[in-house]
Amino acid sequence: MGAFLELVGVRAGYGGGDILQGLDLSVEEGSLTCIVGPNGAGKSTVLRVVSGLLRPTAGTVQFRGESLAGRSPRAILGRGIVQVPQERSLFPTMTVWENVRLGAFTVHDRSLVAKRMAAVCETFPIVAERRHEPAASLSGGQQKIVEFARALMLDPSLLILDEPSMGLDPKTRSLVFNTVRDMNKAGRTLLLVEQNARSGLGIATHGVVMETGRVRLQGPGQEVLDNPEIGRLYLGATA
Amino acid sequence: MTLVLEAAVLGVLTGGVYALMASGLTLIFGVMRIINVGHGALVVLGAYLSFAASRSLHIDPFLTLVITMPVMFLLGMVLQIVFIRPLKTDREALSVLVTYALALGIEGLLGYFFTANYTQLQAWYDTASFPIGSFRITYVYVFGFALCLAILAVMFLVLYRTTFGASIRATMLNRTAAQLIGIDVDRVSAVAFGIGMATAAAGGVVFGITTAFNPGSHYDLISRLLTIIVLGGLGSLRGAIVAALIMLVSEDITAVLISPVWANFVFFVILVGVLLIRPQGLYGVRVRDRL
Repeated sequence: MGAFLELVGVRAGYGGGDILQGLDLSVEEGSLTCIVGPNGAGKSTVLRVVSGLLRPTAGTVQFRGESLAGRSPRAILGRGIVQVPQERSLFPTMTVWENVRLGAFTVHDRSLVAKRMAAVCETFPIVAERRHEPAASLSGGQQKIVEFARALMLDPSLLILDEPSMGLDPKTRSLVFNTVRDMNKAGRTLLLVEQNARSGLGIATHGVVMETGRVRLQGPGQEVLDNPEIGRLYLGATA
Repeated sequence: MTLVLEAAVLGVLTGGVYALMASGLTLIFGVMRIINVGHGALVVLGAYLSFAASRSLHIDPFLTLVITMPVMFLLGMVLQIVFIRPLKTDREALSVLVTYALALGIEGLLGYFFTANYTQLQAWYDTASFPIGSFRITYVYVFGFALCLAILAVMFLVLYRTTFGASIRATMLNRTAAQLIGIDVDRVSAVAFGIGMATAAAGGVVFGITTAFNPGSHYDLISRLLTIIVLGGLGSLRGAIVAALIMLVSEDITAVLISPVWANFVFFVILVGVLLIRPQGLYGVRVRDRL
């Protein structure tokens, strides 16, 4: 049996040459895999390939043994892969409730949607507390939490997070990382890209270091964090 | 004073018609991020389709909407799929060229089938009027306003009370995020273009009864519609309605109080004043808020 998510020899880019240069990566079920690396390494490009926003020019992407090649974002979503993008992605003039409800846009069973809404409200109380307020009125950290809530409305098999801590103050960042770790502890598989490598690898069960479109190093999160060479290159000299 | 009041009432009534025409244009911009400079030609096309249908079937121009609105809706979906969907990069700039070419094509076809002579839709109520206090209102403006209110009410109900409407609003607010939650943005775009064209058909029939038109009438029309959606805020339906009312009421009152020559100027003074304070227009969303 293969890995939960497996990318082999993937090449992809945006028209000006390939960003991913034959990437091999696997994600195990139940893991929290964190990808770190310098700017331009292709971290976010990996996520765009997995969620179907970008089609690879070569290589294979398999999820639970099934090829995702050429599938639309909607079809990939239907297979249980949900991405929370890097930039703010709530619909600003819609209420918090409408935003979270739209997370289950593809679910037509109303009782199931109501059940998930209740579960999400229990996990993230802010959804019920601020339900009537427009999403734009929330702080950056609160918006990120509501984005997580919206993503969970599909009860995803694999949740992809693209730099969830970007633009947040240290206190809010810590709240977001704790939430990510809690979701993993609750049994959810997560693939995380994080610029803040120390915090990301600190909560990850599996760490991946990327460089120029390839995986340079991977292993248990703490091991990658403790690797002196990686520490010197990406995490600051004190590691 | 009576003249000013009469001008204000007429401004509101005709403003409703412009609001309907502009609502389609702003909806298309909001969903697809394209500037449809062919929208004026689509309104004129709607007027000609009603003209042809009312002549050949001997029915009231307003009744022709039962035929022209669905036809224009389907045509809109086809045009979106054939001409707009292939634009993958630099959409906003390329869409101006593509939709301008579309406008020229429609103008050419209409000129071929209907000649370049001016024509007008005929109905018993196009000049008949009724008294309100000390002045008279022509029936067609009231009927046109009622039609626009009904269509705009349906649009708002669809947008704010249905799941599909929520998917249109979501696509308008953040296209990538909409894709990531499973909204088929291509389908939403095609339907939105179809709705835009159906509203153009409805606007076209009122335009065609109240104004003599020919295939080249779209140039003046599109400049006015673009100005309305800029004042209202690109992509905002509420903005398009309010801006259309401001435009027509200010123009009509200026024409009465000062001179028709200054009517457009006063509206543009209002436009520049608003944009200096709110560059995103009355109800527009700033780009940094959108992200």
